[in-house]
Amino acid sequence: MSPVPLSVIGGYLGAGKTTLINQLLGLDHGLRLAILVNDFGAINIDAALLQSASEDTIELTNGCVCCTMSGDLFFTIGDLLDRRPRPDHILVEASGIANPAKIAAVSLAEKELRYAGIITVIDGLNVERQLADPRISEQVKDQFRSADLIAVSKTSREKVASLLKGEGVAPCVSTSDIAAVTGVIFGNSLLSLDPAPGTQPHPAYVQWSEPAPQALSKDDLDARLSSIPPGLLRLKALLPNTAGGYWEIHVVGAQIDLRKLEDVQSPGVVAIGLRDTLSSAKLRAWWMGP
Amino acid sequence: MVALIDFGDRIGKAAAQLRGRPMSDIRVFKARKIITMDRLRPVASHVAVRDGRILAVGNSECAAPWGDFVADDRLADAVLMPGLVEGHAHLMAGAMWQFTYVGYHDRIDPEGKTWAGIDTAEAMIARLKSDAPQSNEKIFGWGFDPIFLSSERLNRSHLDQVSTDRPVAVLFSNFHLMCVNSVALEMAGYDAQTPLEGVVKGPDGTPTGELQEMAAMFPVLRRMGIDFRTLSQSADAIENYGKIAVRAGVTTMTDLYSMLEDEDIALMLRLTGAEDYPLRIVQALGASGAPAQVADKALALRERSSDKLRLGAVKLMTDGSIQGWTARVRWPGYIGGQPNGIWNMAPDEIFALTREMQHRGVQMHIHVNGDEAAEVSLDALEAAARAHPWPGARHVLQHCQMMDRALFERAAELGVACNIFANHLWYFGDQHAALTIGPDRAERMDAVRTAIDTGVMVAVHSDAPVTPLAPLFTAWCAVNRQTMGGNVLGPEECISVPEALELITLGAARSLRLDHEIGSIEPGKRADFAVLGSDPSTIGAAELKDVPVLGTVSGGRVHLL
Repeated sequence: MSPVPLSVIGGYLGAGKTTLINQLLGLDHGLRLAILVNDFGAINIDAALLQSASEDTIELTNGCVCCTMSGDLFFTIGDLLDRRPRPDHILVEASGIANPAKIAAVSLAEKELRYAGIITVIDGLNVERQLADPRISEQVKDQFRSADLIAVSKTSREKVASLLKGEGVAPCVSTSDIAAVTGVIFGNSLLSLDPAPGTQPHPAYVQWSEPAPQALSKDDLDARLSSIPPGLLRLKALLPNTAGGYWEIHVVGAQIDLRKLEDVQSPGVVAIGLRDTLSSAKLRAWWMGP
Repeated sequence: MVALIDFGDRIGKAAAQLRGRPMSDIRVFKARKIITMDRLRPVASHVAVRDGRILAVGNSECAAPWGDFVADDRLADAVLMPGLVEGHAHLMAGAMWQFTYVGYHDRIDPEGKTWAGIDTAEAMIARLKSDAPQSNEKIFGWGFDPIFLSSERLNRSHLDQVSTDRPVAVLFSNFHLMCVNSVALEMAGYDAQTPLEGVVKGPDGTPTGELQEMAAMFPVLRRMGIDFRTLSQSADAIENYGKIAVRAGVTTMTDLYSMLEDEDIALMLRLTGAEDYPLRIVQALGASGAPAQVADKALALRERSSDKLRLGAVKLMTDGSIQGWTARVRWPGYIGGQPNGIWNMAPDEIFALTREMQHRGVQMHIHVNGDEAAEVSLDALEAAARAHPWPGARHVLQHCQMMDRALFERAAELGVACNIFANHLWYFGDQHAALTIGPDRAERMDAVRTAIDTGVMVAVHSDAPVTPLAPLFTAWCAVNRQTMGGNVLGPEECISVPEALELITLGAARSLRLDHEIGSIEPGKRADFAVLGSDPSTIGAAELKDVPVLGTVSGGRVHLL
């Protein structure tokens, strides 16, 4: 059974995590999402999609399920892994002060999970005040330090990007730029998704893909993975192994997940990066070699 | 008025029938001494009980005005106190005994068996082997504390000596770390390639067996079939909780932080509702999520309360622990320069929850280990009190380990009770002086004297299973402030024995808003007694912890060990 990708949406209280989750729920991604939220009340569930609802679980007719944590986060994730059919993707909303890396850590330990990114939502209007409050500043910093992508709400992404300059943090996009978010967590092609109604695709990122990648040896692969170009947000690759079988590679931020597979449905490489640091030509040059 | 001498119920009944009148429903217990904690009659020799409640207190004739009674001499040689009240414990204390105890300190299980403390890896291996369940696949130890292990750090090779074909795991006493054997590592698929740091690797790059924090522990626990959420919600755990209570002289005990799903409540109501269940459990719902929903759930739960299961309070987890360097502390912080601790709940959330609970009339137990957490919580309580005055709210700060006089004064002004973690003085006092907050503040820790002097409502607690349930030991800690290393930590904060006895009875009862029902032996209250083998008020401060517990009386029903 292939591992279930797990992504975490972090960010301080009121940053807009739920809004982002609602956007993701509203997309036509065709995935059976399992979403762990802090509070049902704020989740938009289309009544027409509602299949069943209990105290801590809402099931939708499209296969998605929303749960609240009962007691322990990790055991609740275990419940999701025990569901049949299994969810295609688990999305966890971190509580307002939590370090999303501590939640995502479970995907680096549990073999049935695969790390699929931390998106930290930053409230551009209030982040300066939060960083100036000695009681919470360190934990707020932890939230964006562990992010693979920062989604900025309420102000321009540029404002937050310049504020965090020098912190060595992940790239900033606007929360309305949902395709960048889905690119990182789902790893799917940016073009395969229609933008949510009312949003506009942001030109901040670039994409390169190769539908028929050449076979690579372990050494070839290691050479590429040890020279990942700065600005790469996400890479997903299914390609032949010169020693037989296939490689499955996921790069999300600093996390690299490499597995061997017997067979794959459709090989290909998709890489997404930031336009201000990368171009599709650079991505291509990195992967294809000189 | 004639007293029927009771030689057991049957004879008493027969005697009553012979006299041609109904059996009296009044029972008068005779004791060597009754310490009532009631200032109007501090000491008595007899207590009369009817309908599970105290009818009269005094001498052998105390029940005479109420008609015929049965004299009960079963407790004639014992010293009675009000049933002891543990204001901070967890049902997990009952659940853990299904596993093998491998802690450093001697510990007594619910059946009364003493498990000697373990101080070497060899002893642990032998214990795990000899106690391994026959039918069960896994071998699971708990209560281990690496600080006390004299040999090398516990690793998989030790546990491989327990078994090479069954998974073996040892959970540390802090519940944050675990060590497992090679079989368990293999079950989880852990190897040199496992990227998570919490899966600790040795010099050779392979996992040592040590797993740090839940993310690393969970995959093993899951495959061993251990679910922390349901561990406490089993019939065995609830029955064991009652048994360990009887052994400690406790008749009312909290379970502070539970998710309390519907099926849990049904099970608990059924089990605690049995006439011979010896304990009143006071539950606190874990507050997480939207404040309004937490309040809705707490208020709905309150309606389902019974005499022996009290529902409707909530628990807020604000910071971590001092010994884990996760408590939020004020300047000058930790002596090792560790970063300040971690909020489990942001200050803004503490404010929002506190305001909602105060508004809706829900009592809160607020976990505060570090002084910054206490300060923020008092700020939140003060703001809530301004917005929604509720003079009788009696919210409780729990642990209060670093509160100073000024913070206690504020608690007193706000009518906020403080339940202080006195057991820490003995178990962790030396470490606090040497490693966490330094000697100055360690001497000021768990400042029970100061708390009492400021007029705050005070209780002391064990946080069982973190430290063992034994209120008389907890009282001893507050009286003597002795550490395991033999030091006296802040002698100025010592309290007297009578003060300590009040804290483990009326003090804790006040914090649970139950002091009108329990906490002292006076007419009208529940007939809940601790049955003791010697007199804690005269045995001497140093021996307070050694007072033998013979059992309890719960609602007039005798439970002797």
